[in-house]
Amino acid sequence: MNHLSGAAALLVFPLFFWFSAGEGKGEGIGFNREIRPILSQNCFACHGPDEHERKAGLRLDERESALAERDGARVIDLQNIDQSLLLERIFSEDPEEVMPPPGSHKVLEAKEKETIRQWIAEGAQYEDHWAFVPPARSVLPVVSPRRAGRSHNAVDRFIQKRLQEEGLGFSPPADRATWLRRVSFDLTGLPPRPEETSAFVESEHLNASERELDRLLASSRYGERMALAWMDAARYGDSSVMHADGNRDMWPWRDWLIDAYNANKPFDDFTVEQLAGDLLPDATVKQRIASGFNRNHATSDEGGAIAEELRVEYVVDRVKTTANVWLALSMECGQCHDHKYDPISQKEYYEFFAYFNNTTDPGMQTRNGNQAPIVRIFSEAQQKQLDSVRGELKVLEKRREEEVPPQSEIEAWVAGVREGARRDPPEFSSWSWLGPFSGGDFETALGKNFGPEKERKKNARKAHGGLKWSEGETWPDGEVHSLKLPENGAGYLGREVETDRELKGTIWLGSDDGIKVWLNGKELHVNKAQRSAALDQDRVPVTLKPGRHWLLLKVVNASQAAGFAFRWESERYPKSIRQLAERGLNECTEEERKKLRTHYSKEVWPEGKELDGAIAKIKEREKALINVVPTSMIMEDQKEKPRVTYILSRGQYDQPRKDQPVEPGVPQALPELPAEAPANRLGLAQWLTRPDHPLTARVAVNRYWAMLFGQGIVKTVGDFGNQGAWPSHLDLLDWLAVDFVESEWDVKRTIRQIVLSAAYGQSSRSLPVLRERDPENRLLARASRFRLQGEFLRDQALAVSGLLVERHGGPGVKPYQPPNIWNEVSLNGGLRYRRDDGEKLYRRSLYTYWKRSAPMPNMMIFDAPSREKCALERPRTNTPLQALVTLNDPQFVEAARLLAQRLLDFDGTTGERFDLGYRLVAGRPATERETAMLEKWLTEQERYFSEDPDRAGQYLEVGEFPLPSETTPVTLASWTAVAQLMLNLDEALTRN
Amino acid sequence: MTMPSFDDYLTNVTRRRFLLSTGHGMGAAALSGLFQQGAASAATRSNAGLPAFPNKAGKAKRAIYLFFSGGPSHIDTFDYKPAMRGLHGMELPDSIRNGQRLTGMTSGQSSFPCVAPMFDFKRHGQHGTWMSELLPHTASIADHITIVKSMHTEAINHDPAITYINTGVQQPGKPSLGSWLSYGLGSETENMPAYVVMISRGRGQLQALYDRLWGSGFLPSRHQGVKLRSAGEPVLFLNNPPGVNRPMRRSMLDQLAQLNGESYERFKDPETQTRISQYEMAFRMQMAVPDIMDVSQESEHTKKLYGPDVDKPGSFARNCLLARRMAEQGVRFIQLFHRGWDQHGDLPRRIRWQCEDIDQACAGLIKDLKERGMFDETLVICGGEFGRTIYSQGKLSETNHGRDHHGRCFSTWLAGGGIKEGFEFGKTDDFSYNITENPVHIRDLNATILNQLGIDHERLTFRYQGLDERLTGVEEARVVKEILA
Repeated sequence: MNHLSGAAALLVFPLFFWFSAGEGKGEGIGFNREIRPILSQNCFACHGPDEHERKAGLRLDERESALAERDGARVIDLQNIDQSLLLERIFSEDPEEVMPPPGSHKVLEAKEKETIRQWIAEGAQYEDHWAFVPPARSVLPVVSPRRAGRSHNAVDRFIQKRLQEEGLGFSPPADRATWLRRVSFDLTGLPPRPEETSAFVESEHLNASERELDRLLASSRYGERMALAWMDAARYGDSSVMHADGNRDMWPWRDWLIDAYNANKPFDDFTVEQLAGDLLPDATVKQRIASGFNRNHATSDEGGAIAEELRVEYVVDRVKTTANVWLALSMECGQCHDHKYDPISQKEYYEFFAYFNNTTDPGMQTRNGNQAPIVRIFSEAQQKQLDSVRGELKVLEKRREEEVPPQSEIEAWVAGVREGARRDPPEFSSWSWLGPFSGGDFETALGKNFGPEKERKKNARKAHGGLKWSEGETWPDGEVHSLKLPENGAGYLGREVETDRELKGTIWLGSDDGIKVWLNGKELHVNKAQRSAALDQDRVPVTLKPGRHWLLLKVVNASQAAGFAFRWESERYPKSIRQLAERGLNECTEEERKKLRTHYSKEVWPEGKELDGAIAKIKEREKALINVVPTSMIMEDQKEKPRVTYILSRGQYDQPRKDQPVEPGVPQALPELPAEAPANRLGLAQWLTRPDHPLTARVAVNRYWAMLFGQGIVKTVGDFGNQGAWPSHLDLLDWLAVDFVESEWDVKRTIRQIVLSAAYGQSSRSLPVLRERDPENRLLARASRFRLQGEFLRDQALAVSGLLVERHGGPGVKPYQPPNIWNEVSLNGGLRYRRDDGEKLYRRSLYTYWKRSAPMPNMMIFDAPSREKCALERPRTNTPLQALVTLNDPQFVEAARLLAQRLLDFDGTTGERFDLGYRLVAGRPATERETAMLEKWLTEQERYFSEDPDRAGQYLEVGEFPLPSETTPVTLASWTAVAQLMLNLDEALTRN
Repeated sequence: MTMPSFDDYLTNVTRRRFLLSTGHGMGAAALSGLFQQGAASAATRSNAGLPAFPNKAGKAKRAIYLFFSGGPSHIDTFDYKPAMRGLHGMELPDSIRNGQRLTGMTSGQSSFPCVAPMFDFKRHGQHGTWMSELLPHTASIADHITIVKSMHTEAINHDPAITYINTGVQQPGKPSLGSWLSYGLGSETENMPAYVVMISRGRGQLQALYDRLWGSGFLPSRHQGVKLRSAGEPVLFLNNPPGVNRPMRRSMLDQLAQLNGESYERFKDPETQTRISQYEMAFRMQMAVPDIMDVSQESEHTKKLYGPDVDKPGSFARNCLLARRMAEQGVRFIQLFHRGWDQHGDLPRRIRWQCEDIDQACAGLIKDLKERGMFDETLVICGGEFGRTIYSQGKLSETNHGRDHHGRCFSTWLAGGGIKEGFEFGKTDDFSYNITENPVHIRDLNATILNQLGIDHERLTFRYQGLDERLTGVEEARVVKEILA
């Protein structure tokens, strides 16, 4: 057996730290692999790219500077190696002399010092930083025939070469069931169905694995799984993060993302659309939605905040995210000073910053929904409806434009205006009366609501203090009328007012004694006067919107007589119109006549107003159609006056160096912009997707690798800079990157190649000796084994229990969450989590509403990032709180109940039912030992639940999903306990 | 020494192992025997900190942080001078404001009238420390605490300010103080999380809190603060499902351990053993947490120290008592958030409410720690994210006014854990607007807290995205040695 030979070799070869002198024995010290990490970590901060912090003018990241003569000595002296100041200083024991200085808390280990000495002895050869040099297609390594036999494809050849050098070999292949469960989780985030596993295990097809793989890649679950990882990187959330952390709707962007993966959108288009979809010529709605990638960042609505400070923060976040995700560079360091480790000056930082600094979105953003710029997303049906409404509108508007009032009408109207006419009054109904009420004293009579005061319209049927409205009182306007009110009594007068357009006017009132006025239940006026009634004592200005209104008066009598007076006065025509009318049509210029005609047509002419009313109604329909349509936040640049970018002194928003405006640009250490690239985000995206870009493809394929193996070829998936880790298989990384670009950025192809490798398909069994030798599994002499991420665990529980609802896309859903998670922290404590019901409890976890100030606790406990910032990796911890989730969270308890039901519904023996359970959660049947243990334990549970039937009842009540009528509670409860066991098995929680 | 990176950590987590037998039967007996060893050595404990820490002699084993969210007024509580009385009603001089940026809430005001506190102040303790009538009980511990009157921060709004003081940066994304402590020092107990958070609310305007204030940022999630809650389950998901009692859960875990033992045999993955131990820890936590929450065993004398609110679950006073109980059990860092200090208007009435909530409990906690001999090894910190302005926000009337946010100076007190007793540090001008002596940046405060727990703040680092991240960031931060006993 192959792996045995590897293991045997282990015992023979001495153990050594694998990458210290492992690769390319006898080839000398590699600068990139061995020296750069030491210098970067310990020296570059003061002797590196940062011009301002540089000490003694020395750069250790550049050979020329290190070898230069200074005051008769050299930092690196190739003639007299031991005269090298560098060696003198690092070997010094004098705290005044030694480098790095003690204050830096950096200490070189003896081995590191020796490595540097040897490197100098070998000529102190420098190499360009590997990640900044474009990858070339690596030559396929030649390995022994036996190893070649174990290789499935090119990927394996590179890994085998390394293993061969180390005297190791692949582990045996994983069994088919394990392989299928592994690849199903990796590519779809869900386990295979038992029947899929059986079919695959039994398949005699030559390309069985390829067929399974293609099935998975074609499944829409693939897009959901890939989207989930990208959502961490894109800091996706359903809330705005800062201060109120209000709701936002970015789910159309998330749905775009899923679709993009499922359609296998080439990675260059994927990049261009997300960074600059809005800037593409004739950008489609989808491309604009895609640009929302850079609207996912945290925003604030805090009242006291300074808008520009926030706006700059948003741009800083976009720079950081874009650079982390596509370049794996911590460009954000350049905000305040030159980068300490990587060749990115502060000026270059702001050149990059300039790409994102010209957007129209403001610093102060909303806490209620989406902040402009947005795009509205119409379904086909909605678009049709809208088009039809807009068609109608167009017709009416055209009519309105074409039809003009007859000249004679205009002349008559002008004459009227000259004589002091006012605009049309609204229509008033007759008065209704409600009263009298007794108040006891005047204050109370005036202040107390005897019933109708808050009502927004007349409530004719309702009795108030035993009284109802009496109808049809005729109290003509503009006269004083007496009312029958006792001492300290009050009565209400109400009437309806109707207008077909907005009207301004004045209500003139008289009263004996006090009076109050409401319009539609809103108080407009109060006067505690005690007086005799006369015309025009009080003046109440009113604006009436088109429609019907309810006007309510309350007259309060202090003593003796009571009464009121009312009249309406419409606003007069505007002064300019009156002046023109004064002059007469004949005396006006053509322009002035036009003004009069227009005014008449718009404001007075009944036929015109009728048409206006119809147009207004259609516009309302249009608005209603638009308002129900979801929106998504997008990027948009200022076109008229692009914002000038300045270097910000120490990164401070309020300290621009006005003498140093910068143009959009990319760091010098990286390739140039394509010749035709526009100076905006589109140009930046074109630059990132240059086929010869040294970073974009490598960073992307490394991330796919990390997703499939649990760690990247470059371990630091977010840092390919000087501080980043040396790749375990640089030749493989480059081969994959070149292949990726040459295949026109075909994501599925890359994933397919990796998954089909023998390396991916190995068993994960880790022999202790192998663990000692390569604890991190960098060499890949075995497959990785790690805990499933939180979303996969929840989705698996839903899937195996049959609860999972696979509906795609749409707004975030709110499944079970313990009470008071939101309001415990929310502004003013008012915002509560409103749990959804029904199928929304069982959607895939990536659709769970993600509130970033208080994210789903059962996911956070499993290392989900809050997504307030870009996250490229998740830690994988193993904690007691995780145990509490999978044992006690109602979501998991309910799923166990349904899994139990599923097992009970299976027509078979108890042992066969255990088998089915194991197949569902672990992808394999239970062993005999396991079956025996479970049988014994099941019996115990039956005893436990029989002892006290309430236990079963309570246990089975967890979760909303209804109980079946058939099963006996004790049986179902016992099996639910078994199902809980199964869902908590190490194998169930682990991707193996 | 080189600190482990994020990626090393990922791997190390899987390497930490519980030295369980690799045999089949890992029944209850075997397990309980193992887990009852409270003094498991740090190397085998799954919740241990980093081997290099503490890396200096620390006075404190643990810390309790009483955090007042919203920005308590230093002027009406601690930072008083009699000269203020003469400034009342006077326009804030430009020479004092000195171009300081104001929040959007008052930058448009045409007038900035100074307001002297509408409360009496008296000198207390051996050193004659000024304290407001609002804090009669705190006055009684004047001889045990150090008041730093020269705290300052650049942030002038809640979200950035509270994020800054708790995570070292104004924007979201970094680990909190407590999670750094958990990461560096681990937990002293196998039964409780290393970092516990409790929230109570006052009666004033409640500013928002955010999970990030106790979150673990890029540190592994095991270091995030665990909320202890007064209603419902004290720790999320702590309770067994209804119908499942403790013996039944025990039996389930024994069975699970056996089945997982089968897995271990199959794959030899040490993570499987860690998982078994984590389930056991969860089981113990299910016992330990309710024990801590149950204050019925506390004596009347002790309860009295904290004031009458101690009988109300969820009150600040109850949380203070719980904090002491957790400190006793070895919880490393306990952070209380009391909300409601944002008095833009109606300050005289509202700050009184807030002080009523906290005064006796704060003093009670100090006295209780003293009586139990825990004072010297427990660091207590008490303060908010910033202070408030001397000038009135909105109209100044005879009896009412508001105050806006003020970051240029504010007061925080510390006690125990090697802090001087009966001491004041730092001075501000007569307007309590600018620091005139010994400024203490919030980074300095955090450096000092770490120092008292035995950590050199420059050495507790974590490699993330190529940078050696640390709580105090890259700007200068110093341990405030002057306040150390």
